[in-house]
Amino acid sequence: MALSLAVFVQIIVAVLLVIGLMVGNAVVMVYVERKACGFIQRRPGPFEVGPRGLLQAVCDSMKLLGKQIFVPGNIDWPLHFLAPVVAFLPVLLLYLPIPFGPYLTSLQVDDGILLILAFAGLGAVSNILAGWSSNNKYGLLGAARAVAQSVAYEIPMIMALLAVIFMTGTMNLTTLVEGQGGWPWQWNIVRQPLACFIYVVCLVAETNRAPFDLPEAESELTAGFHTEYSGMGFALFFLSEYANMLLVSFVCAVFFLGGWRGPFLDGFWWTFAKAYAIMFFIVWIRWTFPRVRFDQLLNLNWKWLLPLSILNLWLTAVVVKLAN
Amino acid sequence: MDSPIAQVLALIKELLDSLQAAVAPWLPSQQVPAYLAFALYVLMMLGGGLTAVGARNLVRAMMGLILTFLGVSGLYLLMASPFMAFMQLLIYVGAVCVLIFFAIMLTANVPGGQEAKLPGPGGALRGLAVFVAPLAVLGPLLVKHVPDLELALPEATPTSELGRGLIGEDVVPFELISIILLAAMAGAVFLAWRRRPEGRA
Repeated sequence: MALSLAVFVQIIVAVLLVIGLMVGNAVVMVYVERKACGFIQRRPGPFEVGPRGLLQAVCDSMKLLGKQIFVPGNIDWPLHFLAPVVAFLPVLLLYLPIPFGPYLTSLQVDDGILLILAFAGLGAVSNILAGWSSNNKYGLLGAARAVAQSVAYEIPMIMALLAVIFMTGTMNLTTLVEGQGGWPWQWNIVRQPLACFIYVVCLVAETNRAPFDLPEAESELTAGFHTEYSGMGFALFFLSEYANMLLVSFVCAVFFLGGWRGPFLDGFWWTFAKAYAIMFFIVWIRWTFPRVRFDQLLNLNWKWLLPLSILNLWLTAVVVKLAN
Repeated sequence: MDSPIAQVLALIKELLDSLQAAVAPWLPSQQVPAYLAFALYVLMMLGGGLTAVGARNLVRAMMGLILTFLGVSGLYLLMASPFMAFMQLLIYVGAVCVLIFFAIMLTANVPGGQEAKLPGPGGALRGLAVFVAPLAVLGPLLVKHVPDLELALPEATPTSELGRGLIGEDVVPFELISIILLAAMAGAVFLAWRRRPEGRA
């Protein structure tokens, strides 16, 4: 591909928009999460700051920005400061191939989903670095858990996505959306319900959200791998966690829920509506289910999700072969 | 197709293209960014390699390894094979390095975190010899032959063609590799297997 100014400008604009989306998403989701949690637990949630507590998230972020940065002694300081950056930077890349709308795609990548999966692996690396370099036993335990969890759940996740890729024969996210129709029964979820189910379970586990939030289980490990981070270091982890949640929701919307296609008036609003519905679902189950034990987490993956996803992949391959 | 948004976007693209065409004579040729990227990736690989060899603690050495892998995947991108680049990251950074970290977690902890001693002068000299030897063999060849080579610009191969190659003409090596991996996995299970005491799940 020859270098062209148009592509360059397109990427710059896209990255700026994605940064805006990341920050806006974190602010909105903090409010939604606290409010939803409040209603689920039959209490009002934040309501003091601003009308209905709407300014609470703004205050939270101001507090984070102004906080003193505590650095514990005997840390491995280059790695300690590298970890939040490694968590944050790949996220900007991850949004490049996502087709938000018919024209709203940062960059057409033929192996788009592979790009996302490849750079998402750096998230586990940043967890490791954060936990290991902080010289803290809780951090280290959190890092060890993060490793076992992310390696395990990556496999059925990829296999679930592979089943859809087998069926449609493309790894380009835009082509995937164009292959689905507007109405719910034309979406891939109808043809691949098991893959969608496996993907949603793995999505919760891969983003370290309850009930699979063992790397940062606050009742056991204080805050897990980011125990020793304060101020902007913590803010970067926080931002990238919410950005990762939104990203996997977008991937789910594109793969299984028809992306920007809707019953009427196709456009980016459908992608956003679907992605945020999944985000709300993630928040909902966080406040509904208790945290699993670590052996339960691994058993669920290796004894259920992995065999199921292999079976699903095999069935898909057979059906695709017979249909051709 | 000819919706107003598409027309506006096409107009912007046309404007930018004509702008690029207008300033093109003052810009360096399109090869310069490629050379810069190549230099960056090679520096990443060399720096990562040096870190991996010279670091006195295992996690830092692993970080050097990750940096090297990032450089390698960048080189794949330069050779117009994004599939290989992404697979390099997915497998080596996302899985292999993470498993190496797991192995590091199982090793004994050294107070102060200095797990390796720096080599003495003899060791450094031998290391230098190992570094220079391939350079001495390959360097002159490269200097002699590279200017004559007319390399065509790499063309991206579709992933489907790669797959067809793997299960078509290259099926035997592909399957042989999987047998080696299977043997390695069986060996690992055999080594790690320990019969649990009776009565415990």
